[in-house]
Amino acid sequence: MKVRVIAFGQIAEITGGELFIEAQDTVVLKAALQVEFPTLADKKYAIAVNNKLVTEVTALTENDVVALMPPYSGG
Amino acid sequence: MWWHSCRPIQEDNMESNERYARHYSLKGFGTTGQQKLAAARVLVIGAGGLGCPVLQYLASVGVGDIGIADHDTVSLSNLQRQVLFSAEDIGKPKAGIAAARLKALNPEISITTINGAITTANALEIITEYDVIVDCTDNFATRYLVNDACVLLDKPLVFGAISQYEGQVSVFNMPNQKGDTINYRHLFATPPNPLEVQDCNEAGVLGVLPGIIGTLQATEVIKIITGIGEVLAGKLLTFNLLNYQTYAFEITVHDLEAGVLPTNEAVFKATDYEWLCGTKAAGINELDAEAFLRTFNDADAIIIDVRENRELPKADFDCLQMPLSTLTDNLPEIIENNIILFCQSGKRSLIAGQLFLEHYKNQKNISHLTGGILALQEYGQKH
Repeated sequence: MKVRVIAFGQIAEITGGELFIEAQDTVVLKAALQVEFPTLADKKYAIAVNNKLVTEVTALTENDVVALMPPYSGG
Repeated sequence: MWWHSCRPIQEDNMESNERYARHYSLKGFGTTGQQKLAAARVLVIGAGGLGCPVLQYLASVGVGDIGIADHDTVSLSNLQRQVLFSAEDIGKPKAGIAAARLKALNPEISITTINGAITTANALEIITEYDVIVDCTDNFATRYLVNDACVLLDKPLVFGAISQYEGQVSVFNMPNQKGDTINYRHLFATPPNPLEVQDCNEAGVLGVLPGIIGTLQATEVIKIITGIGEVLAGKLLTFNLLNYQTYAFEITVHDLEAGVLPTNEAVFKATDYEWLCGTKAAGINELDAEAFLRTFNDADAIIIDVRENRELPKADFDCLQMPLSTLTDNLPEIIENNIILFCQSGKRSLIAGQLFLEHYKNQKNISHLTGGILALQEYGQKH
């Protein structure tokens, strides 16, 4: 399952923006991302699949769009 | 609504306040919309980058009762984005200056200032007085505190946050199309630790960004009050200045927030949000810039810079350099009894403080400069 990964804020600084990754669910995806970008392990971010927040293991299908969203504090 | 749709011409005659003429003639808004704004009470927490445009627009469109809560004073480095303030305001309280500017802009509305920090002791009694709350704060401790207070009081909360070139906007505690009510803890159940996220002081922010995000927040406030359009209830909208890309996703209800949200007033009041966000630790004294400068006269004190070598600005006072990265392996023996730590923003000095505290237990007094050398610089500009 190849999915498109988009990232925001400081997470995009680490991943460099858009990526395509093979993963069958969000847990596998997270692990794959951390292998490629070890500093992600120390960062907080929410995951949205196809414009919907997911908090549990979620199966991914071909061409899903996964967003990695960190919290921003500035005001 | 019936009257509005059937007799639009007479409706115009009913209202003679030229100030809102463009609202009266606006289809779908009219006098009904204007009356709703006039009857609304909105509290803006934080009168900084986001707060300035939010306040400016809420006052100009005629929100009848506006509360401004801010504990800070104007600094030179604020003027790059905080458009309500002038160079002559440096050192003066933001809430008071903002109120004076808004009063000049629209003398027909009522403005209340809360010239102090929102805390667990005062949050509920302040927030309960308003219909809509706008989160324009710049730190996680206050964001979680305000979120939790709004959940307890069931108040709509218009959230805005910025980082460098990107911003986030959402509306919490308002049912979405499915009838679910979302709050910030559904998005991020617990606060990040201070090292996980950089704030504006560290990461910087383009001057116009809060202008755009704050204007989106003001728009959501108007939509909530008047019922026009679709409110961003439970949706997070992000905006990127560099390529104008927007991305929105639906925040979903789940029970991860259940264990972390204060369930009643007593639990809320007993929660220490600074501690929760890792910006305060037991056993480590917090020094503001003034108290930090006083330690220069203490013969039994040693001042330690825990930033990495060559970080700017360079300290222009006597201090020892001990980068945090070297402290984890071996902690040097210190003769002085008062250990004063500082770094760039106050995050690393707090962590260093915990290492010293573990090592020395209660044998030494350990203090750190809150807000770091950046706060010290700002203090210098004002005095």
